[in-house]
Amino acid sequence: MSRLRYLFSPLRVGPLVLRNRIVFAAHLTNYAVDGLPSEQHAAYYAARAAGGAGLIITEEHSTHPTDWPYEKLIHGHHPQVVPGYRRITEAVHRHDTPILAQLNHNGGQASSMYSRLPVWAPSAVPDPMFREVPKAIDTREIAEVVAGYATVAGHCAEGGFDGVELQCSHSSIVRGFLSPTTNVRTDRYGGPLANRARILLEIVAAVRAAIGPDRVLGVRICGDELIEGGTTIDEAVEVARMVEASGQVDYLNTSIGVATASLFMIEASMAVPPGYALFIANAMRKAVRLPVVGVGRIKDPVQAERALAAGHCDLVGVVRGQIADADFAAKARSGHGTEIRTCLSCNQECVGRMGLNRWLGCIENPRTGREAIDLPMPRRRDLRVLVVGGGPGGLQAASTAAQRGHHVTLFERAEDVGGQVAVAARVPGRAEFLDVVRNLRAECQRYGVDVKTGTEATASLLLAESPDAVVLATGARPLRPYWAGSSARVVDVRDVLEQRCAPSGRVLVVDDLGFHQATSVAELLADRGCSVRISTSGMVVGQDLGITLDMEMFCVRAHAKGIELTTDEVITGVAEGVPAEGVTVQLLKHTTSETFDLPVDWVVCATHQEPEDELWHALRDAPFAVHRVGDCVTPRRAHAAVVEGHRAALAL
Amino acid sequence: MITDPVTLAGRQAPSRVLFGPHETNLGRGRAFSDRHVAYYARRARGGAGVIVTETASVHPSDWPYERAPLAAECGPGWAAIASACQGSLVLASLGHSGSQGSPAFGQQALWAPSRVPDVASRELPMAMEQAEIDALIAGFGAATKLAMASGVDGVELEAGQFSLLRQFCSGLTNQRDDRYGDKSTLLHEVIAVVRASVGDGVLGLRLSCDELAPWAGITPDQGASLAASVADAVDYLVVVRGSAMGTSATRPDFHTPPGFNIELCRQVRAAVAGRCPVVLQGSVIDPAMAEEALDGVAELVEMTRAQIAEPDLVALWRAGHGARIRPCVLCNQRCRVRDNRNPIVSCVGEPASGHETEDPPITPAAAPRDVLVVGGGPAGLEAARVLALRGHRVELVERSDVLGGMLRHAPGRFAALADWLAAEIRRLGVTVRTGATADPGDRLVVRAVGSVPGPRAYDVAEGAVVVEAVDVLSGAELPPGAVAVLDPVGDAVGVAVAERLAGAGRSVAIVSQDQVIGTQLALTGDLADANARLQRAGVRLVKRSKPRAVRPGSVLVEDVFTAEQSNVPAEVGVHCGHRLPADADGVTAGDCVAPRTVYEAILEGRRAGALP
Repeated sequence: MSRLRYLFSPLRVGPLVLRNRIVFAAHLTNYAVDGLPSEQHAAYYAARAAGGAGLIITEEHSTHPTDWPYEKLIHGHHPQVVPGYRRITEAVHRHDTPILAQLNHNGGQASSMYSRLPVWAPSAVPDPMFREVPKAIDTREIAEVVAGYATVAGHCAEGGFDGVELQCSHSSIVRGFLSPTTNVRTDRYGGPLANRARILLEIVAAVRAAIGPDRVLGVRICGDELIEGGTTIDEAVEVARMVEASGQVDYLNTSIGVATASLFMIEASMAVPPGYALFIANAMRKAVRLPVVGVGRIKDPVQAERALAAGHCDLVGVVRGQIADADFAAKARSGHGTEIRTCLSCNQECVGRMGLNRWLGCIENPRTGREAIDLPMPRRRDLRVLVVGGGPGGLQAASTAAQRGHHVTLFERAEDVGGQVAVAARVPGRAEFLDVVRNLRAECQRYGVDVKTGTEATASLLLAESPDAVVLATGARPLRPYWAGSSARVVDVRDVLEQRCAPSGRVLVVDDLGFHQATSVAELLADRGCSVRISTSGMVVGQDLGITLDMEMFCVRAHAKGIELTTDEVITGVAEGVPAEGVTVQLLKHTTSETFDLPVDWVVCATHQEPEDELWHALRDAPFAVHRVGDCVTPRRAHAAVVEGHRAALAL
Repeated sequence: MITDPVTLAGRQAPSRVLFGPHETNLGRGRAFSDRHVAYYARRARGGAGVIVTETASVHPSDWPYERAPLAAECGPGWAAIASACQGSLVLASLGHSGSQGSPAFGQQALWAPSRVPDVASRELPMAMEQAEIDALIAGFGAATKLAMASGVDGVELEAGQFSLLRQFCSGLTNQRDDRYGDKSTLLHEVIAVVRASVGDGVLGLRLSCDELAPWAGITPDQGASLAASVADAVDYLVVVRGSAMGTSATRPDFHTPPGFNIELCRQVRAAVAGRCPVVLQGSVIDPAMAEEALDGVAELVEMTRAQIAEPDLVALWRAGHGARIRPCVLCNQRCRVRDNRNPIVSCVGEPASGHETEDPPITPAAAPRDVLVVGGGPAGLEAARVLALRGHRVELVERSDVLGGMLRHAPGRFAALADWLAAEIRRLGVTVRTGATADPGDRLVVRAVGSVPGPRAYDVAEGAVVVEAVDVLSGAELPPGAVAVLDPVGDAVGVAVAERLAGAGRSVAIVSQDQVIGTQLALTGDLADANARLQRAGVRLVKRSKPRAVRPGSVLVEDVFTAEQSNVPAEVGVHCGHRLPADADGVTAGDCVAPRTVYEAILEGRRAGALP
């Protein structure tokens, strides 16, 4: 790990010299308040600067009032942004890290919900997600768009940014002009590529004039829109050549996909191989002399080094990797790369919260999104803290408590820590979920937590230890649904994954949870040769896979594996032994009130569990503080456990 | 008369019309904002008798949506609202969403009587222990004291569709075996604490008296008994219905008839037997219906959406100008704002609602001019109305024989808005010429000429029939046979077309690229209902599919994920896609700028009318 000689070699980009090749590339945060950059923005970027990032590029700054696709957008066109810009740039420059601002107009990839103005786009082609017909702008309005970029570039220069990047990629009016799917104009801004690229080159010229020669200007280009009739790599490379030929641009950044059509390939989940989009940087780098940034689920320094060594790119975008661990670069540089809290690409609290208009967080980093809020000082140190349960909640509580100077012992009754995360990671395509355990276990070791596995912490044991505080993170156990009767053929997902049973034949998977539990066990069983049907009472099987961008790939895999997906169904009962050894499930289509029977060999339930809260009740009158975190409060997803574990440790 | 005053706990409301608590997203953080103050003050000025402010959470464990008010932060806001709404009674709604909240903002487990997952979110709450129950009760008391100290006239307790108090009252969600397993215990305890805290203020209760889930939920009989048991302890009771089982129970759109709670309210009022006044709630949008309800159904009537559409509803009714009241059409497109995007409460017919602090008032023109408005759809009608209000001499020319444009064809009650606009411009002296073409002369011209059919993203083979949705909705005859409704938009149109044709006995399939039909209906609250109606009507739901070709007898569709192709038997395709703007230049408004919804048409018509 210590010999990352490409990753930590400096690089000249226009007037700047970057200390390393790690870029914290632009991404939404929803940290803006009233359209202005917030203190949280400054603290967030400063943490990554302190953590050693070579270059930071902020989220987009909107260039025009017609552009307001989501609530917490930074309205770069308002002059009031400048003080907030200064706050960001001063905080980042304190760590000798350069920072660029990304400029953008989202064009037709927007609605009028917030702006109450017509959406502007090259042509009246409605966006597939927003589904609002935009106004096809005339040449006067095009000039206004171009001028807007220059205005905001001026604000950025005034605010102390080292330069700007033009987003012409994920969600952008420039991409809209470049793409034949959204540009059906017949004037000099439509038709051949030279016409479709005209607005881009006009913006480049206007922005360069606004920022002068001493600041960096970058252009981010989409290498493949992954939509029917969209831009593909050959045209993208041609655009890269045009940009270089302008003589006014210092670097190129790359991307893949359209934010409102193929987002699942922009912020790919763990279902997509790391480095999947490097072919774009590679192709552009062959065509131009400008430095090129490669991106796409590059989650550890070795991968990044390899991408540079292989010549795919000159700089590496590491976004989620630095969301999960702000010190990604510093740890890599100092030879402590194995201490990096590696991103899982689970997308649950970063990407998943963006689409829901919530602030950016991280499933395994409770500080992400909260950088501007100082942690409370520990009231005292050296408390003797016992943590019961080695799932994510217990591990996080133990790690945080140890880091705050307490003496921590963690009891786990199983032979290894990890809890349900370790179980969830056993299924195909979900192995990276285990990183959260690996990361937390390593933290516990590093900070001196005494981890006692294979040890059942009973109430008497805990009382006998007379600790200063106990954190209960005892998790949950499967709960038989009321309709299941006593049939041995009705089992829980955990029974399958923990190998207490091995369903075969026809399997009905019941999806009450709307997440990976049902879909991943269904895939596992289909891989083992089962004939699988997933049934949900909701409108979509695995509904929240849409939030984490796992839906598209799951549907493709489910189809290939012959998994049947049915919705709007409620199970009302089971009859045992019909067929022999199997069960007949009674189902109600609740939308129509039709009932029907389904004979199967096994039923696997992805249903709500019950907390293991016996210790909580047993320790009610204990002479020490007792906190409970995670599923033993009530069973939820991993992030709740991590947040509560962290919070409990801070409260000690 | 609804315009008569009514006395609650010794405080007089100037009318019997209540503006109920509802989510607005007008807040700043978790506090009330200047926008709230202006929003409520506008309704007070229009004659609302009782204004109940947006429900505030009584405890930080409840943060159901990002801008949900938190009682502890609401003191200054309540004070400002109370002072801006002089004349009306101002009551603070206090509540806790329990398992119907969201863990996304507070990042802690939801509170509930028992560990029963919420039907809509699937979120599993924690079962409250005595410490949480004590904190909740104390929260109601503290919030009441703060509200009263801020100068409001009283409080209204939320035990309606989205509330922890209801969850305790209901067998659907309360499975406790302690004393709170006696389901009304918590409600009584909270009322007692609030009574002790409210002083001489008003204590109202909003109570779900029918959960529409008779297997375990509160039935109308049980609701009436529950109401009777608290009647002596409260100063009024709002009868509502619903539980977590259906999102549309309390504020359904036009698919549910207005006044749907009348019989329930009559039953509850009989049980209450005069011990407290009763308020009728439930899509009451017509003052005449409200007047009727005062005879045996209720002492007051909640008209919330009606006053979002027409802030001057009571004043106009009082003045005998009922015909001038802008109608609520129960579309729910802009006033139902429980959505992650935090849309601002507004109204398709009155876009200034929710924007009282930003949108300029309609003021007289400096110099009256002759203005021609081309197009009699919503944008043109609104432009003409505003121009005439401002004193201009207006002529409106409409090519067809009727005014209203797309409002005449859209599913729902939009025709009522068209009728109102048409009546208003005539009342204001606009010269209206239908079936005519325009001769601008040297007049100022506003063009609102609408839209034309849009492109079709699939092949149409020779001999295949594809008709426009608007033609189906306006009653055009279709060739016989099965129909495929091709709906890339997912709003009310495709669903309405499918329902209408299925209702006429056709075999119907509806094709969408989405995993759910009618995705855009989530905002109006009709999504689940629409899907159930379609299924009950026998409509085949062809999901995650894009039409590739319409051929005689079938539509070729392709799975959006797997690209697998299949044929949907159909003799006729109905195209429900986006439309394109009709040619127009100069001052334009509405669909001829870009075809969108009624809201944008009216908004832009109003802005065009404000120009000269």
